[in-house]
Amino acid sequence: MAADRRRRSGLGDLPLALAMLTPSAVILGVFVLYPLGRAVWLGQQRCDNFGNNCVSQGFGQYVDLFRSNEFQNALGVTVRFALITVPAGVVLGVGLAVLADKYLRGIGVFRGIFSSTVATSVAVASLMWLFLLQPSVGALANIGWFNSLFPSVKSPGWLQDPDTALWAVSASSVWANLGFTFILVTAGLQSIPRDLHEAAAVDGAGGIRRFWSITVPMLGPTLLFVVIVSSTRAFQAYGEIDLLTGGGPQPTNPTTTIPYFIYGQNSPIRNDTGLQAGAAVLLFLLLLVLSGLQLAGIGRRVHYGD
Amino acid sequence: MATELTDDLTMPVPGELARAARRRRRVQTFDEPTGAGRVGRYALLGIVTFLVLFPIYTTVIAALKPGSEVLENPLLPTTVTFDVLVEAWNEGRLGRYLFNSFVVAFIVTVAQVITSVLAAYAFAILEFPGKRIVFLLFVATLLVPAEATLVVNLDTVDGLGWLNTYQGLAVPFLATAFGIFLLRQVFLTLPRDLRDAAAIDGVGHLGFLRHVAVPLVRPTIGALALFSFLGTWNQYLWPNLVINEADMNTVQSGLRLLSRSSLSEPNLVMAGTVIAAVPIFAALFVFQRQLVRGLTAGAVKG
Amino acid sequence: MLPSSLVRRRSVLRLAALAVVGASVAAACSSGESALEIDSGEATPTVAPGDSAGATTDVTPDATSPEETALASTTTVAPLAEFPDCPTGTLDSATGPIEITFWHGMNDVLEDSLIELTDAYNAGQDKVRVTLQNQTGYDAAIDKYIQSSPESRPDIVQLPEYPLQTFAQSDTMIPVGACIEDSGFDTSPFLDRALEAYTFQGVQWAMPFNVSNPVLYYLRPKFEEAGLDPDDSPITLEEMRSASQQIVDSGAATFGWVLDSGTNSGGGWFLEQWFARAGVPYADNDNGRSAPATEVLFDSPTGVELMTFLQDLINDGLAVSVGDNASGQDTFLKLIDPAADGAMTIGSNASLAGVLGAIDGGLAPGLTGADVGVGPMPGPSPEPGVNLGGASLWIVDGKGDEKAAAAWDYITYLITAEAQSQWASQTGYVPVRSDALEIEPLLTTYAEDPRFRVAYDQMVGDVESETSLAPVLGPQREVRVVTANATAAIFNGADVASTLADAAAQANALIASYNQRN
Repeated sequence: MAADRRRRSGLGDLPLALAMLTPSAVILGVFVLYPLGRAVWLGQQRCDNFGNNCVSQGFGQYVDLFRSNEFQNALGVTVRFALITVPAGVVLGVGLAVLADKYLRGIGVFRGIFSSTVATSVAVASLMWLFLLQPSVGALANIGWFNSLFPSVKSPGWLQDPDTALWAVSASSVWANLGFTFILVTAGLQSIPRDLHEAAAVDGAGGIRRFWSITVPMLGPTLLFVVIVSSTRAFQAYGEIDLLTGGGPQPTNPTTTIPYFIYGQNSPIRNDTGLQAGAAVLLFLLLLVLSGLQLAGIGRRVHYGD
Repeated sequence: MATELTDDLTMPVPGELARAARRRRRVQTFDEPTGAGRVGRYALLGIVTFLVLFPIYTTVIAALKPGSEVLENPLLPTTVTFDVLVEAWNEGRLGRYLFNSFVVAFIVTVAQVITSVLAAYAFAILEFPGKRIVFLLFVATLLVPAEATLVVNLDTVDGLGWLNTYQGLAVPFLATAFGIFLLRQVFLTLPRDLRDAAAIDGVGHLGFLRHVAVPLVRPTIGALALFSFLGTWNQYLWPNLVINEADMNTVQSGLRLLSRSSLSEPNLVMAGTVIAAVPIFAALFVFQRQLVRGLTAGAVKG
Repeated sequence: MLPSSLVRRRSVLRLAALAVVGASVAAACSSGESALEIDSGEATPTVAPGDSAGATTDVTPDATSPEETALASTTTVAPLAEFPDCPTGTLDSATGPIEITFWHGMNDVLEDSLIELTDAYNAGQDKVRVTLQNQTGYDAAIDKYIQSSPESRPDIVQLPEYPLQTFAQSDTMIPVGACIEDSGFDTSPFLDRALEAYTFQGVQWAMPFNVSNPVLYYLRPKFEEAGLDPDDSPITLEEMRSASQQIVDSGAATFGWVLDSGTNSGGGWFLEQWFARAGVPYADNDNGRSAPATEVLFDSPTGVELMTFLQDLINDGLAVSVGDNASGQDTFLKLIDPAADGAMTIGSNASLAGVLGAIDGGLAPGLTGADVGVGPMPGPSPEPGVNLGGASLWIVDGKGDEKAAAAWDYITYLITAEAQSQWASQTGYVPVRSDALEIEPLLTTYAEDPRFRVAYDQMVGDVESETSLAPVLGPQREVRVVTANATAAIFNGADVASTLADAAAQANALIASYNQRN
């Protein structure tokens, strides 16, 4: 047809396409690509406290920054945080989804409850947990019998003890993301055809066997998605740290993640625009590597149906 | 079995599938436990429910308690009063914060939907040179975390004089590659014949978009809208950086403010948290389908 | 989020990922250095026109000798000439109300009082209209100011004492000394320490407005139960120890002294106070007053002795630390902790109104506001003496003569005896001038509730030397974070001498980095 011929001729719908693409292109260009480029450039400069008078130092500054104590600490904390929250989140999400994946009266209510944390924002969820864990006026600290069982909830408090602080923050984060993971995994479960289970059951496979041989492989794409999103979120953790620990009980600051190292209230680089930009770019690169590794590593083994 | 799946909807809505599944096989014992298994499962469900709801429960209890009773018995609502909620609304300015959050989220949602629909249509239906590369460039922006762009964006926004304004909060997010990707995906599933038929009738692209394509993909647009709204509503770092006038805070940065100034009144902070959480709980209750659709859009089919 | 369609490019991705991983592993060994030790090279920034000698690390050639600078209560002409003018007379010929914005960090009760004062000012004359903009806190105000472009800056900003060097060197401010000079303002009724606190290299940069200092808060019932006189609080560190011992032994409370390691309290500000009290320098160059400091001196024997003393208190169960006190309220909350309480803590006098309000509001069943005792801050020497905290008013440059004159006019209003009397009475801040005590409402407030006077009484007194003033450091806030970390480590049992030495090294790196770049 004439329309097809025009389309195949090369220029095609360029004018219209330009018009339709321009709004997004402008926004994404100005507020995503340009800042990234400029940050890369800024990251090898040092500026004064007001962000002016920037002087280039060469890209070796990136290596220095990456190898510095503070960044390595933050990197360690971030990786540890991800290693706790991602597996815990996946296991709990799958566990809850499987638990609620039965035909029972009122199961919809339970499903609704398990999904409910998706409605909490970082600030809301963190404040709820702050109230739970605060050692003087917090809920857990003021329940007599709980105190006797776990004296450390009051003294020094799970958020104030350097050994437990990151675990406490992780608990809050896992809880907050539970609804999200639950919804995704439930959707994934429901897309697994029941005849697979039926056939396996007829062949004598028990529940656990069926779970590992059918459910988990079929959940592949969903789990990959959950892992990628959760680990990206873990690397971007800021709000929960800001509200719960302010970077972590001193002096080791075991809850200062990389974003908190860059933007947190007590960060040593908060008045150093150059290093801030550099650290932000390093975070971007780390996330790139992380996603790449995940796709290459897990993505390969994921079964996508036909 | 896999073919059975793809014969159905391209974007299966879990609820529908579940209902269909239930209709077909109600007698499977592993789908419907009986006897001891049933009791056990209910018990387990109950325990997990308690654990999941516990933080919400203690928060609500605290929000309803007067100051003098906060330290006693956090598990039981010994006295119920709404005064603290009122105080959080007024002195904690939460009413104003909710309004700000709503305005910004609304602006961003509308903008993201519009820009995404336009761009996605261009990528899916239009033909032009370099389309592949440009699309990859757009998608590449998904890889850039917000933290990497904040420093410079703050500078840009300040240069425009947009600190402490709705524009400052909204403009950097008026477009999103996620929305473009999502909508492109679903536009690609529109049958070719539709477009050809429209061309024969002399309907241009824009008309086709408006009268045929958009109505057909409305569920996906709804999912994107919800996703955008929620994402903007929940933003924490950006509002904290852009806003320093107390009245212009969004709910999230307002909560931060509240928690810093009033920890000696934990019930006030909790009341603020409850007020901040309720609108979203309500909205998600109403828009459950869209939510699930939005969240699963990237996951199930990949 | 990555769409899985990219998986098709997985081999390319995998190679790229491996390459990057490899590179980073190679670089991954920690260098063992602080991020701030990253060399900023010969970073001599372009000198802005009108830039003063204060922007480099050279000692200002015009500075008078250190002793003279500290004790002079008026400004000297020479240094001022290098800074922007303050044409206070411009206001007389201005037409129509001049609108100025004031960025402040006052919240709750404090904000209400400021609003009242400002409304009265706006209503009482028609030359100037002040718009208040609450920045929610000092640090927030500092951050926003630093980030903002010249157009979005306010006309007046309220800043605390620790960014003194930063803002003095920023080339964005008009020193109030220029206004004092220009208008012939009489500063004699003002508290010496309050004015001196905001001088840097002989120039009066800001006008003190809300002055606070640390005082000892204690619960009188617990003193009584321990057999201590509730009207005579401990003043030396030794007395703090013996009082804590009595409190713990008698069972009046679980702990005697509630400590914290917050940056603007027990881990930073208080340390600076104790050094000043002992007359020992905290930093070189006369505590950074005669020239920008280049190194800290808190790892001296005085520092080791002080921190060992506090560590011993904790080890002996007489004191407890509540950590970094991020909310600023953890120390007070510990006093009324139902399970493991304390009896005394040091806090800013600015918190007094809030503490009384919370206790009267029923937060601690069985206690009323009258049970709260306030005494002078204990320290190494028996003479009470503190350096101020709180904040001051700065006039922003580059806004035009009219705005500068208007800003000065508003500032002079806020520091009149009447305004200070009202302000101090409502908020608990220390008035910046002694004649405010003779006027209502402060006269009655102090008479009725002497607790509000404690902070004032411990601040009158002459400034003997630089070391009795607080130190001025470039990156003071960051240095306080370092000392806070060190304090927390020491409270957890770390070796005092080595921890302080490490902290000093880190602080020196911060200062070196700052001096290189600014």
